[in-house]
Amino acid sequence: MQPTTFIPHPGRKSWVTTRLALALAAALLTACGGAGESSTAQATDAADATGTARAQAATDSRASAAESLATDAATGAKGTKVMTRELASRFLTQATFGPTEAERDRLIRQGYVAWINGQLVLPASSHRAWWEMRDAAIRAADPNASAGQDQVFESFWKQALTGEDQLRQRMVFALSQIFVISAVDGSIGNQPRAMAAWLDMLGDKGFTTYRELLEAVSLHPMMGLYLSHLRNQKADLTTGRVPDENYGREILQLLSIGVAQLNLDGTPVLANGSPVDTYRPADISGMAQVFTGFSWACPAAPASANCFNNGSSGGVSDPDRYIKPMVAYPQFHTTTAKSFLGVTIPAQNPANPAASLKVALDTLDAHPNTAPFISRQLIQRLVTSNPSPAYVRAVAEVFVNNGRGVRGDLKEVVKAILLHSEARQRSDTSGKLREPVLRLSAYLRAFAHTSDTGFFRVGNTDSPASSLGQTPLRSPSVFNFYRPGYVAPGTQMAAAGLVAPEMQLFNETSVSGWVNFMRDNVTSGVGQFNGTVNGVVLNRRDLRRDDAAEMALAAQPADLVNRVFDRLLSGQPSAALNTEIKTAVGTIVVPALNATGSNLAQVDAAKRNRVNAALLLTLASPEYLAQK
Amino acid sequence: MHILNNASRRLFLRQAGVMSALVGSAAPLALNLAALGSASAQTAGGYKALVCLFFFGGNDSFHMVLPTDAASWAAYTATRNQAPDPISLLLPGTAPVVTAAAGSPARLGGVLPIAPANPQGRGYALHPLMGGLQGLFNTDKRLAIVPNVGPLVMPTTKAQYGQSSHPKPAQLFSHNDQQSTWQSLRPEGATRGWGGRLGDLLASSNTQPVFTAISAAGNAVFLAGDTVKQYQISTSGAIPLGVDSSGRVYGSADVGAALHRLASSSRSTHPFDADTAAVARRAIDAEQLLRTALRAPNDPAFGTAPASGAYNPNNDPKLRYNNPITGAAAFNSLAQQFQVVARMVDAGLRGATGVQRQVFFVSLGGFDSHDGQNTALADLYARINHAMLYFDSTLGALSARAQVTTFTASDFGRTFTSNGDGTDHGWGSHHFVMGGAVNGGDLYGRFPTLAMKNANNSNFDGSPDQLGNGSLLPGSSVDQLGATLGRWFGASDTQLAGIFPNLANFNPAQRNLGFMQA
Repeated sequence: MQPTTFIPHPGRKSWVTTRLALALAAALLTACGGAGESSTAQATDAADATGTARAQAATDSRASAAESLATDAATGAKGTKVMTRELASRFLTQATFGPTEAERDRLIRQGYVAWINGQLVLPASSHRAWWEMRDAAIRAADPNASAGQDQVFESFWKQALTGEDQLRQRMVFALSQIFVISAVDGSIGNQPRAMAAWLDMLGDKGFTTYRELLEAVSLHPMMGLYLSHLRNQKADLTTGRVPDENYGREILQLLSIGVAQLNLDGTPVLANGSPVDTYRPADISGMAQVFTGFSWACPAAPASANCFNNGSSGGVSDPDRYIKPMVAYPQFHTTTAKSFLGVTIPAQNPANPAASLKVALDTLDAHPNTAPFISRQLIQRLVTSNPSPAYVRAVAEVFVNNGRGVRGDLKEVVKAILLHSEARQRSDTSGKLREPVLRLSAYLRAFAHTSDTGFFRVGNTDSPASSLGQTPLRSPSVFNFYRPGYVAPGTQMAAAGLVAPEMQLFNETSVSGWVNFMRDNVTSGVGQFNGTVNGVVLNRRDLRRDDAAEMALAAQPADLVNRVFDRLLSGQPSAALNTEIKTAVGTIVVPALNATGSNLAQVDAAKRNRVNAALLLTLASPEYLAQK
Repeated sequence: MHILNNASRRLFLRQAGVMSALVGSAAPLALNLAALGSASAQTAGGYKALVCLFFFGGNDSFHMVLPTDAASWAAYTATRNQAPDPISLLLPGTAPVVTAAAGSPARLGGVLPIAPANPQGRGYALHPLMGGLQGLFNTDKRLAIVPNVGPLVMPTTKAQYGQSSHPKPAQLFSHNDQQSTWQSLRPEGATRGWGGRLGDLLASSNTQPVFTAISAAGNAVFLAGDTVKQYQISTSGAIPLGVDSSGRVYGSADVGAALHRLASSSRSTHPFDADTAAVARRAIDAEQLLRTALRAPNDPAFGTAPASGAYNPNNDPKLRYNNPITGAAAFNSLAQQFQVVARMVDAGLRGATGVQRQVFFVSLGGFDSHDGQNTALADLYARINHAMLYFDSTLGALSARAQVTTFTASDFGRTFTSNGDGTDHGWGSHHFVMGGAVNGGDLYGRFPTLAMKNANNSNFDGSPDQLGNGSLLPGSSVDQLGATLGRWFGASDTQLAGIFPNLANFNPAQRNLGFMQA
């Protein structure tokens, strides 16, 4: 049969027809490949009466082919009846750090809506608690040592690989790339405990409202350090000193409204064919004046200038000053009138930093750009680089009003993103390149790894030549690892009018680095090297793959490749790729086990080479590099 | 499904737009290439390379090239001597105070005088840690300074800046947009830069087009042309994709061959697959060529062979600079970028890579000195000084100085005012051009007037060159800077006009800034 790598634009076909075609194509391909595991999970949730009822209602409403979110949400519930393993994998690639068998089963059992709802109520797991636990252990072993950035990465990977709160942690990772701090800057990198606390803040606020999140971000001392509004002072008219404009500018450009006026669907507002600026230098100056007079939490605050400048007074400081929200020091806050975006905060006497901040954040929250600007970027982080205007609008409408009059409800926003029909449909413009961290996490989840130490010591993965070229919380600047509007020069994507943010990290060095990194990871395990752990001499990398199931299939390359595809390619079965890998794997000769069993080691080594080859070839394929 | 119908319609319209745009530009490009075919053989004059050294973050060139005449110095000191951490450097001859805080003006000592051939009636100096560049400027005459250059649509006065009708570059003061504008003359989203476009026009003699535009510092739109694609090389040289030196993976040549086949080919109609495969294809092909074409980094021409064990660039004394904050020697990643560029230049000169014209991109980040400016810039300037000198001396050993021109670029200059320990986003800034074909030891363009801040606002009425917070209104444009370099590189007036869209807005006599030897 001809492979159907993608379902083409469905045109006028109904959603149901397309869905069935997808399921059928997947089932046929799997059947051709002879996979041992079932490709569909019919009626596994018969007990889910609520879901069934919702599904029935949805079937009725869908007859009109409406695009409403209600319909899409219900489609998800209906999807429990026809959801294939491939469709489940595809969803989990968007909503988690990668499908696992357990999560896939749960999703198929629950349906999209119930699964999301379940995730939204799971408590957040604390990165800071992990870091502090590790720090205490490290200090106990060596009083001169302490935990560092590596322990932040441990916590990130532990949660990414084993955490139950997958959607929240994936949201944290997405938000960490919109609200960016970076440990590449020493003032951030030297505060690993506060980096962990920053992740916790994103997790806590990431499922509240955008307004709450923006306030927590703006007052977090790590952001205050990174964008230098911590201890920023009002102008000195005598000497000519001016306020620092760093945060005042970037909160506009990157954290709220962006540089160009947007329609609700994310398309630029045009005047005479040109984009219209959202702000001018004077707006930045006005906004910068708001962010004066905020500095360290400190026992002698707000009276003490030493607290403002140094975080301590009389030798007394707050040990949590890198974590606690910055506090207002009125004597350093601008009292003259502050104007931005058509709003003026009148002159204050006395200075009232909290009032100024409230006006500024309320203004940004209410700005017409904010909903499409943030919604589109979240879609890009989770689902697709090129959402249609209708998709952006649908999500932005939820951002504007969650149906209960609440603006910026991020739980409803993420739900709208994942349940929209465009997220659940594949086309030749859908999807995104997997960013390097998610490439690795998907592999580590698809083929369960255990950590010898239990610490998930993946470590720093900065190097593009020998590692991922991306480490969480270590982007080169506040502009993240890549830009949402990045167009890769000289590509088919560019010719098709498509942006591809993650392509900004994808080059001749990093693609080779990725393949070499995974070549070694597949054979030797992942992460930092352990000598002796708990008295046991290991001398191996921390994360180990259990490959018993794959070894059992090594004698049958077709089955082996099908299993790898099922776990890594989430419903992108390509017959040509399958044949290529199957053939290559088959060229590795597995000797027959002799009567005495004396060649068992050679037999196992050959089998292991087959397993590793099947994995590496899949991980190196363009099919894996993009989620579609 | 209205959504996908809309999406496909949108896609069609975009594709149609791209098609018509291609029809519009492809024809002149083809003509240019054809016309160049004969001309370049006569005028190209052998191998040439252009190297862009980009300072990411917006370099405060007020801190790097300083006018030392009394009026300028008074304005500078009054404006920048602000608590809590003054960023005003000290007059030439000031002795360093070894007990002062690392990186502070007192610890650094006075700025270093330079003597341009045409000083415009003023005195000048460089940052105290740029002693090597001082020698290149004053003595070796291989360093020129282009004062106050930045993106401009057309010549612009301070009065015109205030007029909304006067054309100005889009998104001034914004990092990503001005990085893009310096590199491509358009804000973020541009898909071709002027380095890549020079490559399009002048690479007809390159038998290996993949090596026309090379970045040692990741993705740079500067290097993207219509046909030229940037090749992003590792600072240690090209690295193989997955296979060992015999083309094997896990001991199997069949698996190695399959790996290269499947990683570099697409089996679907999705453009993402084709594009990632194309990158892998280039990685594989280029590595196979460079494996033998490049001399090793520990060759005495580029580095230092270790007494024992494998070469580790971090320990190569040639790639280490004196960190002014710690006082200790440290690895300079910028020098290592220059090292791989020098290795590529060497291969080009030897004919090993089949190229006559190459454009390179190297970079250094960390210039966004909103705070902690003294220490941040002290360290960065020490790295720049060391890396540029390393490159100059390495090219000297290769007898390649006259064939390689290096110029600096950055997002923007910064404000003249201080926020207490740093500066904010500005516009125009001073830049270096280095090489054996450079008319070194002089300034090319009028050095801007630096004024005292007004008593009641930050408009700097005393200077026609300064805008709000004392930012510089550029006197020369990136188009002029690029065209001057492009002319040396071999581009004709017609070609330059095509690459630099704003050049026609400048007086013909000023389109060549004159810092390159004829």
